Amino acid sequence: MDGLISVIVVCGIVLILVIIVVRMYNRLVQYRNRFKNAFAQIDVQLKRRYDLIPNLVETAKSYMSHERETLEAVIQARNQAQQSEQAAAANPDDANAIKQLIGAEGVLSGAMGKMFALMENYPDLKANQNMMQLSEELTSTENKVAFARQAFNDSVTAYNTYRESFPSNILSGMFNFKESQLFEIEDADQREAPKVSFS
Amino acid sequence: MDFFEQQDIARRRTGRLVVLMGLAVVAIMVLVYLVVATAVVSVTHYQSATATRGQVATDGVQVNFFEPHLLIFVGVGTVVLVLCGSLYKMATLRGGGRVIAESLGGRLIDTGSADATERKVLNVVEEMSIASGTPVPPVYLLEKEAGINAFAAGYTPSDAVIGVTRGCAELLSRDELQGVVAHEFSHILNGDMRLSIRLIGVIHGILVIGLLGGTLLRSVFYANIGRRRSSKEGGGTIAIIGVGIALMIIGYVGVFFGQLIKASVSRHREYLADAAAVQFTRLPEGITGALKKIGGYSFKSKIISPNAEEASHMFFGEGISHLLGPMMATHPPLAERIQRIEPGWDGNFPHLEPTKKTKQKTARKHSQLSRTPAAASGMVEVAAISAISGVGQPTPAHVDYASKLVAQLPEVVRNAAHEAYGARSLIYALLLDGDKQVRKRQYGQLREHADPQVYSLTQDLAPVVDALDHKARLPVIDMAIAALRELSPKQYAAFKQNVRHLIAADEKVDLFEWVLGRIIAHHLEPQFGPVTRHRAKYYSLKTLARPCSVLLSVLAYAGHRQHDQVEQAFALGARPLELSNVALQPLSSCSLQALDKALDTLAEAGPRQKRTILTACAHCIAADRKVTVNESELLRGIADTLECPMPPLLPGQPLV
Repeated sequence: MDGLISVIVVCGIVLILVIIVVRMYNRLVQYRNRFKNAFAQIDVQLKRRYDLIPNLVETAKSYMSHERETLEAVIQARNQAQQSEQAAAANPDDANAIKQLIGAEGVLSGAMGKMFALMENYPDLKANQNMMQLSEELTSTENKVAFARQAFNDSVTAYNTYRESFPSNILSGMFNFKESQLFEIEDADQREAPKVSFS
Repeated sequence: MDFFEQQDIARRRTGRLVVLMGLAVVAIMVLVYLVVATAVVSVTHYQSATATRGQVATDGVQVNFFEPHLLIFVGVGTVVLVLCGSLYKMATLRGGGRVIAESLGGRLIDTGSADATERKVLNVVEEMSIASGTPVPPVYLLEKEAGINAFAAGYTPSDAVIGVTRGCAELLSRDELQGVVAHEFSHILNGDMRLSIRLIGVIHGILVIGLLGGTLLRSVFYANIGRRRSSKEGGGTIAIIGVGIALMIIGYVGVFFGQLIKASVSRHREYLADAAAVQFTRLPEGITGALKKIGGYSFKSKIISPNAEEASHMFFGEGISHLLGPMMATHPPLAERIQRIEPGWDGNFPHLEPTKKTKQKTARKHSQLSRTPAAASGMVEVAAISAISGVGQPTPAHVDYASKLVAQLPEVVRNAAHEAYGARSLIYALLLDGDKQVRKRQYGQLREHADPQVYSLTQDLAPVVDALDHKARLPVIDMAIAALRELSPKQYAAFKQNVRHLIAADEKVDLFEWVLGRIIAHHLEPQFGPVTRHRAKYYSLKTLARPCSVLLSVLAYAGHRQHDQVEQAFALGARPLELSNVALQPLSSCSLQALDKALDTLAEAGPRQKRTILTACAHCIAADRKVTVNESELLRGIADTLECPMPPLLPGQPLV
């Protein structure tokens, strides 16, 4: 009788432990799914931005024929960023892919900033209706990217915090839940979206 | 049968299930007791036999099957185990549809997605939600699943999600997809998901007994590896093995019968959902086309995810194959489902290969042609059905209305509603007051508390939103809610704060704005934290006289100026309640807080009582024989916070 009771008690404890572990594992998966889904929001806006840039450059080309190099740099940076974006979208939990995207985005922002600075010298281009519309749309897309990035970073932070806290850190080590990368713009002077001003 | 009756039936069926579960647990308790008692008796017998070997007297040992202590011990143990198992499972499933969708390998489709296939699915779901007056649910894509299948999961319409497999999104035409989505919406609207979550919970509780048996066996096995067993412990070990095996048998036999019940309940609900899909879309070819494609498709409706078994009854088609075939199947056979909708069917499944884009296009053109007359006749029929009877039962005319409404929305509004960034501004713009002074104050609030870009976007949207047909306001909110779900908790907290400020900015009772705020909170809160669910507990209106009085008084004051008109409206509204103690409240006690409290209480009324309350509201609103768009939308808003999804009102449709 005593033996039976102790066996049942042990079984009960084991059962409770198993339940706790399963719950923790599910939580980890849930947090990971959350931030993966949050990346989709950034992704949609980035794609939109990559679609806008060639149009913008095309419009600028006819006015800024002397600035060929700058424009080509923009296009190249855009292609590079698009590639990184596709890689990151396939695996938003891959820290390296996100890091690469951050880098490529930084280069693209730099190239765009340069282009907009040069544009100041071409009043005709600034007055172009098409250009104004494209720039406006680009600005709004960039705002949306910033906003979506904020949501993504919030959910990555929630995941990373849960991953590192005790006792879930034991599980995350065992089942290879890797630390994830925040989507942050690296340089302080690149933190601001490229200025689009027509004042 | 209308929505309220359906809910009532679902409730009673759940009650019966709880009783059945109680009986099952008692039966299991008795069985477990018998097993344990047998083990204990045989062990004591065995031990006394070895201990007294060679001695004369063995009469000290009593063989007694009834041991009160053991009975209590086993009884309490079994009940606790089963309850824990059930509650644990229900708690995990209650996390909402998102948890289930993610466990099946679903990826959330971003509401702003530009992908053509994803857009098609999103649009179909959006139309169906607007037609039925529910917020647009998140849509998940099961990318790894090639079979044609879909599911709805979640506890209430507020946390419901829709999932479709890749095969379903790519291979079905728009009409077929609409049929499938309508089928899933019927599950959402009829509360089938709640019923199935309870069923899964019960079965899981019984399964725990079997798992315990398995664990017992394993523990004996491992314990014996380490040490040689002595002959003295032999009896105990054999008894434990016996108990383990017996518990496993009890547990798994219990689960087997549980699955049988689950499957039969599920098959019944599937027929209902198929019928509802035809009723919602008046397009039998849609759903039968989807079913036929499943039949002729090499992957059928297979789901490969390891978690499919548990969610099997939530799917559109049979997701997994069973050893026992039709008995355990959660879905009726395809041929029978088709034949119930299309009696003259020849029984031929069209052969279908993965990805045939051209075929889809032709199919679509064809079915669009056959659709127009059906929708037109639906319009005429609907005009005769009152708004209250239409709750939870959208018709083809509503679906038609919804798709036209979305198409007519200004593009900026539609785009803003489709992504989390603009959706906030859109809601802010909807909450802006008509009065210039108040609006100025509201802008001041936004400038201080919202992001600068959101503030300027709100200013841009304001004129467009002002010009928006008032009928489009609730549908736009329903659309925006889907995008707002993608806010991070931090972003949501800021958003909630701003909405509260905007509503508080006008100190007069602007009911409509207040209802908007309430709808938003009602559907978004569950996404960002635990909420207290309103469980039906008032099955008589007698105890609800006070909140009913407050609600009707507010409605009467809001719609009428002169005091005698107010009194008359209140009296008309109070009549259907058939209560003697409802009385017009003084204006001073009709604050928004009082109304909030009243609606929270009324949300806990039973389905039939809710119907009466809504009828009373409708009578009160229609007292002056004029029903403005604002008033009818107000009624829909109130119905929504009472969890009675009311389809949009069509031209000429009476309220009551």
